[in-house]
Order: sequence, then structure tokens, then C-alpha cells
Amino acid sequence: MRLRNHKSDYIDQSERLSFIFNNKSYKGYKGDTLASALIANNVVFFARSFKYGRKRGLMGAGVEEPNALVSLEIGGRYTPNLKATEVMLYDGLSAVSSSNPNSLDLRALIKPLHRFMPAGFYYKTFIKQKVWAMVEDSLRSLAGFSKAPTEKDEDLYDHIFHHAEVLIVGGGVAGITAALEILNNSKTTRVILVDERAHLGGELLNEFKSDNTASSWHHDNLNKLLEFKNIANSRLKLLSQSTAYAWYDHNYIEVLQTNATGESLVSGNTQAARKVLHKIRAKEVILATGAHERPMLFETNDLANIMLSQSVRRYLNEFGVISGKDVILYGNNDSIYNTAIDIKNNDIKCKVIDVRTAGSESKTVLKAKKLGIEVLQGYAVLKAHGTSLIKGIEISKVEMQGKKWKLIGSSKKINCDLLASSGGFNPVVHLDCHCGAKTFFDEDSQAFLPQKERKNRQVCGSISAIGFWKDAVIDAKNKAQLTLVSLGEIKKSTQGSMGENYLDYYNASQFFMPIEILNRPKVFIDMQNDVTTLDVALAIREGYRSIEHIKRYTAMGFGTDQGKTGNINGIAVAAEFLDVPLSEVGTTTFRPAYTGVDFGAMAGREVGGFFDPQRYTTIQDSHLEQGAEFEVVGQWYRPWYYPKSGEDIHQAVNRECLAVRTSLGMMDASTLGKIDVQGKDAREFLSRVYTNAWMKLTPGSCRYGLMCNEKGMIIDDGVSTCINDNHFIMTTTTGGAASVYSTLEMWLQTEWSDLDVHLSSVTDQFATVAVVGPNARNLMKVLCQDVDFERDNFKFMQWRPGTVCGVQARIMRISFSGELAYEINIEANYGRYIWDEVALAGKQWNITPYGTESMHVLRAEKGFIIVGQDTDGSMTPMDVNMNWILAKNKPFSYIGRRSFSISALNSEDRFQLVGLLTKDADVVLPEGSHIINNKGSSIGYVTSSYFSPILRRSIAMAQLKSGLSKINETVIVKIVQEKQGLKEIPCEVSSSVFYDTEGEKADGNE
Amino acid sequence: MFLIDCPYCKESRDQNEFSPAGEAFIARPQNPEELSDDEWADYVFYRTNHKGDHWEQWVHTNGCRKYFLVKRSTISHDILEVAAFGEVTSENKS
Repeated sequence: MRLRNHKSDYIDQSERLSFIFNNKSYKGYKGDTLASALIANNVVFFARSFKYGRKRGLMGAGVEEPNALVSLEIGGRYTPNLKATEVMLYDGLSAVSSSNPNSLDLRALIKPLHRFMPAGFYYKTFIKQKVWAMVEDSLRSLAGFSKAPTEKDEDLYDHIFHHAEVLIVGGGVAGITAALEILNNSKTTRVILVDERAHLGGELLNEFKSDNTASSWHHDNLNKLLEFKNIANSRLKLLSQSTAYAWYDHNYIEVLQTNATGESLVSGNTQAARKVLHKIRAKEVILATGAHERPMLFETNDLANIMLSQSVRRYLNEFGVISGKDVILYGNNDSIYNTAIDIKNNDIKCKVIDVRTAGSESKTVLKAKKLGIEVLQGYAVLKAHGTSLIKGIEISKVEMQGKKWKLIGSSKKINCDLLASSGGFNPVVHLDCHCGAKTFFDEDSQAFLPQKERKNRQVCGSISAIGFWKDAVIDAKNKAQLTLVSLGEIKKSTQGSMGENYLDYYNASQFFMPIEILNRPKVFIDMQNDVTTLDVALAIREGYRSIEHIKRYTAMGFGTDQGKTGNINGIAVAAEFLDVPLSEVGTTTFRPAYTGVDFGAMAGREVGGFFDPQRYTTIQDSHLEQGAEFEVVGQWYRPWYYPKSGEDIHQAVNRECLAVRTSLGMMDASTLGKIDVQGKDAREFLSRVYTNAWMKLTPGSCRYGLMCNEKGMIIDDGVSTCINDNHFIMTTTTGGAASVYSTLEMWLQTEWSDLDVHLSSVTDQFATVAVVGPNARNLMKVLCQDVDFERDNFKFMQWRPGTVCGVQARIMRISFSGELAYEINIEANYGRYIWDEVALAGKQWNITPYGTESMHVLRAEKGFIIVGQDTDGSMTPMDVNMNWILAKNKPFSYIGRRSFSISALNSEDRFQLVGLLTKDADVVLPEGSHIINNKGSSIGYVTSSYFSPILRRSIAMAQLKSGLSKINETVIVKIVQEKQGLKEIPCEVSSSVFYDTEGEKADGNE
Repeated sequence: MFLIDCPYCKESRDQNEFSPAGEAFIARPQNPEELSDDEWADYVFYRTNHKGDHWEQWVHTNGCRKYFLVKRSTISHDILEVAAFGEVTSENKS
């Protein structure tokens, strides 16, 4: 309900907002969160629990909330698993629970079985019994939180990079103080202040009603901060509703900022980013991340309206809402008295149950008593009564005996409709630990505190167990001073002195873990994953000792919650069952991300066409006009085939291949990697990186080369052209261009700095048009008059400079199809012009453009390998039957050579490249199919497979164990055929050269 | 995400401009053919995988494309030193 006479600076009662939750419409105010607006509307159930389907209500008021997960909006704006406590209300908001508490839930139907479903239940029942495969789908559909989105995200997300001297995480008292201290004491330091809430101030906002100095401090200091922000070239950046969720090496921190108003969600303003991912690199980091309250443990502590004390206080003070009229405050520290005082001051009935026995009360306790609040000291809550919603509690006297809590006497019942508890505080050390910092257990504050000293980092405020806000101010100033010293802004720091007993989190007593309570059923530790104290006990009984193992066995601290309220209690429970001190159990490892991060935000603008660079050759427009289909090869969009109307890929490739074999084809070969190699040692360099000989290659000639790494494995191949003794142009595979270039640079820079060689990537500088087929020479004679194309004057593997249609060109006679072929290399910008001229002049021979698919068929017919398709990084030249390319007498032991003599690489049973001919000529083996032996085990696999139009049969290349000794034998290839299932196809092992085995076609028609 | 000082560009740049290129100071043997298989395998495959301060090679892939030397703590990931090839050698390295 909303309190009528309550005034809050943060709720604008003049602006009513309508929203829908679980298909019902409600009204709230501007400034509400979805959670506070629903409390105002008396909604208590927010979701069903993960494993048991129990109805759950709110527990927290912010990022710590484990239960109230909702999904927002629908369709392209659907966002799953947001916390209702963090969603700011906007007009028209529509949300549903991650699992609707009001609808029937299958998990709830099996409620009587819960006691048979402890940790490890699914594993023991289904996986061990080997029936998991049968039940997995149906079980998985029951589990989980919100449904995953099914539609394309309609919104935009941005990334922004920041550089700052100081990043402050947390905009409470400590964060605000630290920011001002830095800005006031330096003229140049840039500060970024990040805060997860909509308003700066953190928990200080809670003190306004009871402490006038708190509100005036907040008012004054916020103004000072805004003065720094609202000037030109401001050194201060304020990021609100922003969560620093990850800290990576070298002070690189990622922050997710959500849309404060949800405006872009409803207004359809697609220009505004819905969320922004800030990537911050800071010299110094100040963590003022605060602390999360942890709940007290008792039986059925998961009923709705059992909440955290500070959260109830925040709902009351900041939003003017409360979900009960008869409130019990229960805990082991003074913070529950603060909440009680605020509740009492709003004329709501409340009672305090404190596990600490009477004596040496603090001012806060005395103040509460003076107000007439009923206080039961030395009492513990054993159990909450009610079905789904709390109706009352069972309490008992308790006292500390030795170092253990013991229950004494009989129990009695008390009625209530809301219970707010506090079992102490957990410093938010998550971010600090992402990069390897450790925590230590501090007895005074009963908390795991951040490691004391860390380079370029300070912690201040309640993260280091400071409860009272005025102490936090002093602490933050001190730490900011240390930061300024570290930055070199000041020489010596001034350190203010703190108040008394400041390091104790409101006089928190020892963790309240009486074994009589822990041994009860349904004492939930982790609400989000339904982990109880008995699950932890079971894990320990089954032999798990490390908290990391207990976590994984029970799933404690998993999910979107990551154990914000539950983990530390879980550690204390484990310590109790193991009977060791908490410090010995330690914490689990904190890893990014602290909170959920949208995939959309991670991707930012790098989606669709911006996902990966798209490279096009200068001939692209012509390909488009000719109706080419494209395939992506190492970012290049290469024509795949050129279908004529009505043709499918098979018909098109058939036509293209036959045109090349019988008359004339043309292909855009511009994408091949090209590296310009210059210098007087260029020739020596080539002979070091290629396996074959280069010393005698004369200007005017070209040579195919195979490149290996030091392991002796093939990494690239291509033709290099000798321009003159000091100048070569190397071509690489399209996909390998960048890595080959980088590898060659490595050799030159790290090993062979004495060689006079310079490399330049010239892939983009040239366009290449390949003219291929028996009529290629006839066409070249038409296109180019200043070159002698006669067979014996311009031989295979030679090149000539010439003028093609008025353009300076290098013409290479090289072939990747076995046919007579010329590659015309021109300056890239002439690509389209030359392509069109070639097409025009070639009409009389019915010149046919062909794409990569036909290129693959044509090269496979000739048994030419494609590095990366027929080889996979574990193939030597010997494995692909290319021993002929290994030079024997080069003086320099070229890259990879020594490895060729290693015995393992000369073993008989290596995979070797062979051809496969199916007995049934029409069956085309799927690439990747396995060749099997008579026991059904794999002895090889198909690397390339096509239907050869010229041979009118299927051909395939394969890696087969001891393949070269199995030529002419029959092997079985197992394939999966549509609708027919698995099928065994007999094939004959053959040479991998299928067509023109004698190489008679390379000279064309004479 | 490291911040790396390129000794050639003389600028501190984000890790995504760079690529790691393995352990430093592993010289290619002068006469590979004279080595035993074990000695050759030691050069090709075996690395120290050192815990602590470690000299390694990086290349400014999306920058000047120069290879250089980095001394990095494999525990804290702090970068303790960067150097051009020749400035630091296996003999005079710290």
C-alpha cells in the first residue's frame, strides 16, 4: 500500500503512470520502480521459484533482489530476466513474471515430492539411470527463468569509450565525497562517477526522515557535484542507472547503462540507444560499492512478505510504500532498529526481535525503545507460518553458549503480515575480485572485506564495513587523498580521523546459525536457485568440502543473482556443518559479470552489415548486373555462380564448367592475396619460406610454391611472379592473405633482420581477370596487340607486360583449371572496365563468367588442392602426394624442412590425400563424410566432392589412412541421405587427378 | 584487456590492436639438419609456460605491424617492460 501522508522527493505524485503486470493494469507514479508501484497496488507475488515452483514475493529493493525477475515488453522489444526492483516505471510499461505466480505451474503440482528432490536429484534420478535423453527436453522446459527472445531486437545499443584518471564506482555518500575531494584538489583530474540507481545518494536517502543533517548534506554536495558537471569541458562524468559489471586487466572496466525512463521503448524513438555499454580505462579506481544486507535464516523463510530490513526501509522512505500493517523486524544488528523507527514514525505497528541479549544497548536501540517500540531481545525466529504469504512466526529464546548459538525453552507464536530481517552485511567486493584480488574474513564486522592494499585502487564507505554515514564521509576523503597522491596530484595526503567503533556494521553479532534451525527443512539460502541448508548439509555428507564444490553441487549462487544475498549465508551454513571457522571456508570466486548484460549491449552497433567488414572487388557491380550469387571467403564477397533465369546452382555450375572446358570462361580472381616482395634478398627470402627452389626463376617466369610452418604442415600455396631479380609478387590464398603476410613479417623482423627484403600487401591494388579455356589464346590476341601469345613464345608459367584495351597490364599464363588460361592483372580501378571489355570481346566464343563453385569443380577435376579444405593444418606435402615440390639441395634449411624427417611424419599410416570414385557415378558424397573400415570405425573423411560435368560422374578427394597404398581398393563411405538415413556407399580409391591426367589441355587448341 | 605501450608508436594502446606471438628469445637453430629429433622438437613445440615474469613477443597488428618484446607477469598481467628487437636480448634481459 502507499502511505497517504508520506512525502518523498523521489516520487512525483502529479504524474500518474499506467502499466500492465501479468496481464492486469495498474497505476503508479513517476519515480516508482516496477516493484514499488506493485507494492503500492498490494501485489505480493512476483514469480515462482526456479526448482520447486514456490510462489515468491519481493525480498530486496535493488540489484540484490533474487525473486522478482520479469520480462519487459513483447516482440522486438522483449527483454528477459530484469529485476522488478531495477525497472523504472514508465507510462505504458508492460511486464510479466519470469514464471507467472498466478498460473498453474507443473513444478507446483509436484509439491509433495519436494522432500525427495534434494541437490543432485536430477543427476541421480535421470543421468545415472541413463534415461536423461528421454526426459531432458520436458525437464528443461520446466526449468529456467524468463523465456528467451524469439524476435530480432528492434533497439539500438551503443558503445562509448572513456579515459579518465579516476573512476569511482558507487554514488552513495562515499562515492560523492570521493568525487568532490578529487575534483576540489586537482585542476586536471578527470573523474567518472558510476551509480546503479536513478538518484545519487545510495542508502543515505534512507536517513533523511530521521536525520536532518543527512538531507542537507546530500542537497549541498549534490549541488557541488552538478556545478562541476554543468560547465564547459567538464572533468566530471556522471553515469546513473549504470552498473559496473566487470573489471578486467589494467583497470579496464565495463559499465552497462540502462535507459532511465524507458522512453525509447514506448515512443518508438529508434534513434536513441536503449542501453549503452561504457568501456572505461582509468588510472585509479575508487570502489564505493557499498554492502548488501543478508537475510536471517529460518524455516519457510521464502514466503512472500519476508524481506530485507534495509529494503523495507527504502521502500518506505524513498517510495512511500509498504507491504504490511503488522511488521516484525528481526535480526542481529542495529539496522533493524533504524527501520523500526521509520515504520513507527509512520504510525505502523511494528515489533523488533533481536537475537542479541539485552545489555550494553546502543543509542539506536535506546531510541527505538523510547519511541515505544516493543523489543524482544535474545529471541530467534524458528519458522514462518502461512501458505505462500506470511501470517505469523514461531519464536524461541536463544543464547550464545561458548561460541555456538543455542535455542532455549519452548516456542511461541506471534502474528504478523510482513517480516523484515537483517543478518548483517556483505560488502560488494565482486568487482574488486574480478581481477584476482582476495577477500579476508573480518571478525569485528562479521564480513568478507576487500583485500587491504591493491595497486591503483582504494575502497571506501560501507564496502569496508563502515555503517555510519558520517564516518563514510571521512573515510572517502581519506581514500581520495591517497588516490591524489598516487596520481602525483598532491605530495602528501591529509588523513581525517574516524569516529569510534566505526568498523562494525551496526554492532552486528556473530552470524546467527544455530544448528537446530539449520537442520529444519525449507530453510532457503539461495532463493533464486531454491537451495536450502539441508542441500548444503547433503553436499557435505556426500564428501564435498571446498565451497567451490558445494556451490556446484547445490547450484548455490548461480543464475542472474550470483548469490548476492545468499552466498555468504551459504558459506556460514557450510562452516557450521563442517564445524570450521568461516575464514577457513572462504568465498567462491567472483567472476564477471556482476549483473546480467544484454547480448544487444555487448554487440552494440556491430550487427547486421557492421558485424564483419564486407570486401568487394572493383568488378562487383558487373557481377551484380550479371545476377551472380555470392559466397563469403575471408570477408570477400566472391561470385559463387551466375545463374541464368530458372537455373539452380547445379545447372549453372554444369553450364559454367562445360563452357570453360570446351570454349571460354572468365573469372574474377582479384581476391587472391598479393604480397609485393622487394629487395636484393627477395629471392633468398622466397626460397626460405617456400619448400621449392627459387634461385633460378628468371624474370618473366612464375612458379607455384607451397608454404609450410616449422612443424612441416602446409599453411598456404600460390604462384609467385618474378618481375626482376629484386622484385617478386607472391600470391596467397584468399583467406590466408593476412596471416601469411603477418607470418612472413615475423620471420623478417625477428629472425632474418639481415635480409634486405621489404613486404607490402598489394591485394587491393590489383584487379585480376582470369580468361580460361581452349579459346583463351584467341581472345588474348584480340585484347592485346603488344604481346606475342604464340605457344612457344609465351609458355605456361610465364608472364608478359602488355597493354590490354589501352591499360597497362601484367599477363600471367597460369591455370587453376588445367585449361589454357591467362590472368590479366591491372591496376584495381580498371577492374570493371577490363572485365566488361573481356566479356564483349569474348562473345564470339560464348565467353561465360564463372564463380567459385565452378572454380572448385574445375580444380578438383585436376586434383589441385585447396589449402584449408583438403588440408587442415596437420597435412605435410608428403600427405598430399606433393613430394615433388620439396627441394633437396637448397643450402638454407627452409621453414618446415627439418620436420619432414621426423619419424612420425613419415609413418605409413598417416592420412593421405586420394581420390574417391563412387561405384554409382551419380552419388555425390557429402563433404565431411567418413570413410569406415569393416568395424565401422573412421579411417578417413571426404574433403572435397562434386559432380564433374565433363566426366559426367561424381568425383571426390579424401584424407584416407595409408591412402596412397590403397589405390584401386574399394572402401565404404558412410553418408546420411535425406529421408533414407544412414547409407554405406562403396567407392574406389583413385588418384586425385581425375581429368586430363597427362596435362595435354594446358596449351589449348592449336 | 591489456594496455600495451608499443615501443615503435610510442603510445599506450588497447590490447585489441595487438596480437600475441609467443615466447620470446627462442632463436631458430642455425643448422636444423644437425639437430636430433628431440632437439628440434624442443625448438618447435616446447615452451616454458612460466609462472611469473615472462618475456614474450607481440605484434602491433592493427597499428605499425612491428613485432616487439614484452615482459609480462603471468600472475598479475602487469606489463613490466617493452622493447624493440635488439634493445633487449636473451643475454642482457632483466
